[in-house]
Amino acid sequence: MDILAKNYRLNEAYDELIGPDRQPRPAAKPLFDYLASIDAGTLDARRKAVEAAIMTMGITFTVYSDAGNIDRAWPFDIIPRIIARSEWEHIEAGLKQRLQALNLFISDLYNAQRIVKDGVFPIEVLEGSRNFREQCKGITPRFGVWAHICGTDLVRDKDGTVYVLEDNLRVPSGVSYMLENRQLMKRMFPEIFQAATILPVDDYPTRLHDTLAALSPREGERPVIVVLTPGIYNSAYFEHSYLAQQMGAFLVEGSDLVVNGDDCVYMKTISGLRRVDVIYRRIDDDFLDPEAFRPDSALGVPGLMRAWRAGKVGIANAPGAGVADDKVVYAFVPRMIKYYLGEEPILANVPSYLCMYEDQRDYVLANLDKLVVKPANESGGYGMLIGPRSSKEERAQFAELIKENPRNYMAQPTLDISTAPTLFNDQLSPRHLDLRPFVLQSDRMYVTTGGLTRVAMKEGSLVVNSSQGGGSKDTWIVDMEGV
Amino acid sequence: MLSRVAESLYWMTRYLERAENTARLINSSTQVLLDLPKGASFGWDVLIRVVGLDHQVRERGIKLDEASIMAFLIEDEDNPSSILSSIHYARENTRTFREVLPMEIWERINGLYLYIRQNAKRATHGRSERYEVLNSVIERRQSIVGLLAGSMSHDIAFQFLKLGRNLERADMTTRIVDVNSAVLLPTDEGLAVPAMERLWMSTLNALSAYQMYRRHVGVHVRAHDVVQFLLKDPHFPRTVHHCLNEIEGCLSVLPEHEQAMKAARQAYRRLDMMKLDGLAPVVLHEYLDQVQADLSAIHEAVSQQYFYLHHHPVAEQSQSQ
Repeated sequence: MDILAKNYRLNEAYDELIGPDRQPRPAAKPLFDYLASIDAGTLDARRKAVEAAIMTMGITFTVYSDAGNIDRAWPFDIIPRIIARSEWEHIEAGLKQRLQALNLFISDLYNAQRIVKDGVFPIEVLEGSRNFREQCKGITPRFGVWAHICGTDLVRDKDGTVYVLEDNLRVPSGVSYMLENRQLMKRMFPEIFQAATILPVDDYPTRLHDTLAALSPREGERPVIVVLTPGIYNSAYFEHSYLAQQMGAFLVEGSDLVVNGDDCVYMKTISGLRRVDVIYRRIDDDFLDPEAFRPDSALGVPGLMRAWRAGKVGIANAPGAGVADDKVVYAFVPRMIKYYLGEEPILANVPSYLCMYEDQRDYVLANLDKLVVKPANESGGYGMLIGPRSSKEERAQFAELIKENPRNYMAQPTLDISTAPTLFNDQLSPRHLDLRPFVLQSDRMYVTTGGLTRVAMKEGSLVVNSSQGGGSKDTWIVDMEGV
Repeated sequence: MLSRVAESLYWMTRYLERAENTARLINSSTQVLLDLPKGASFGWDVLIRVVGLDHQVRERGIKLDEASIMAFLIEDEDNPSSILSSIHYARENTRTFREVLPMEIWERINGLYLYIRQNAKRATHGRSERYEVLNSVIERRQSIVGLLAGSMSHDIAFQFLKLGRNLERADMTTRIVDVNSAVLLPTDEGLAVPAMERLWMSTLNALSAYQMYRRHVGVHVRAHDVVQFLLKDPHFPRTVHHCLNEIEGCLSVLPEHEQAMKAARQAYRRLDMMKLDGLAPVVLHEYLDQVQADLSAIHEAVSQQYFYLHHHPVAEQSQSQ
């Protein structure tokens, strides 16, 4: 099936698989050779088989607005997103560099605050931070690492440059879909995996396990690791359960844990209480410990902060790590890299205007129709203004919001983010996408091979968040040597 | 093993077993109806009574005709014991401990749920379609039992699955036997005896027990022989006796099992002492109630011992590391 002959419309954006000459990019050639070898009926049959598999495997994602239905199938496109290994190695190095600097930054903020004293990071930003936790001051967790698991969102602009869009340091999700997507593709298209050298992704659970195990306060014993979930109504519950299963960890809810007078954390088992060494928590700081944070939280464990401060339990990500997960703090990451590591940033930041500075705010207010405005502390694509697509009223409303609370807003030029061919019926059309690799750090570092590619399923849409109807694709890092 | 997870595992198999046995109960009753001679009567409401849901039906004003009762037992989402609800609960429970089960189990349970959700309506109406759909539920459920036995370590988690399954199974066996105590037979003995025989044959069939009964008891299907077999035979896997053995086996592997074990042995002793020869239907009904109460006592002891921590805040107490 000559799938490209079917009027694939390249637009202004960079296309991940198809070059401007309308030919497949080198890394995508094996895929298109394969597609050319099968007919449209076969491809459609595979697509349906994938959809059926997603239903029976129960790969789901919860959408809050779908009342009554607690989950829906994960929208998945069978055309993968492909990156050459040589390019990936560059990105990987950049991701490691970034997380290292971010962890040094968090540790510094909760301790000596050298970066503030040296005038590299303004005190006003720190003071306005919603995620700075007084309770964490003076603490240095093991290895000096606070964010053990980071999901970094990357996008590619028109000219092919890859930018970091944001660093998710609180409870980034999506890695299970990355793993499941690959399983699906291997089930459905074993032939391509034979023909091309596609690097495997499935060592992530083992690496995550090792990252967590390194945080255990008890030397020499096989650590008891738990994944702390808010429960089945959380949108990422599927992932919590999946990762626990893959790591051989216990999946627990707050009510399963208790902190005793010895400051150790225990879980309630059928034969009494059993000590817990490491908690991979998937609930936000606010809900973690009603004694230390929100007293009305029923999701957390009273006394957890006490246990963590006493060094009796490892928590990933550490409480307070979210201070660096802030879209204003983001703008300072290139400076952090130079300050802490003495290196030039390998990956670029999207140019950012901080509304806290008068000159930059004036520019933002004068150019709302051209910019994307983001609140500092939201995630999931909520509370944003996409200037070129906004109405006059929306812009006026945002202008007010910005003036009321300038620290909480930053703006970036609208990027023309890249596209990749996506299958609808038997036709390929370009859809915008991003990429979320996951980076691990404890005693050593690890980056997933590729990551989760999220794709805006609606034509022309730039919103890829799964909470807002985005889908995903398998991500291939292809080794071109010897091809 | 977390208390919460142990409890969910236990209920997951109870729900699945309940769904399967409700399907068996309906299938056999449909058969009974087809075979009844003139002059015999069979009220569908007996099904509601044996599964202990008559209160609910009365309160909700559900009609007692075949279609309404089938809808209530098969697809009614407000009836927590309907086949659809049971499978739905089993699936939702499974979600909370997917990490302790082999991956394929979740896929099968999810598949079973999707199947019944799509076909429940069909099963409610036509009798032949009902038979086909319910049989398919039984088959799918059996494949889950098989997969569990063959692909899951027989660890503590497995014991809770087995415990829930056997408690529910023993309970449902007594209920399926109880259906017959409610059938009124014609007074003419020439008609009544063969009718009675067919009735009990359907009961055996419902529990997939007819063939084993013939092999181990005899070709004649007599009421007290069947009751004796279904309650007291040690070898057939759906008898109360066998289930109690299995329950004891599970408990013996679990920690701190004294109280639950005591309840199980008590149930067993009482079953052993029951004289089932020449029993009037009313007395049989009372005996069966007694067995159900004893099973319920085992459930209470198990909950108290293993699920208690999950439901209560913990003060300083014994710790095992």
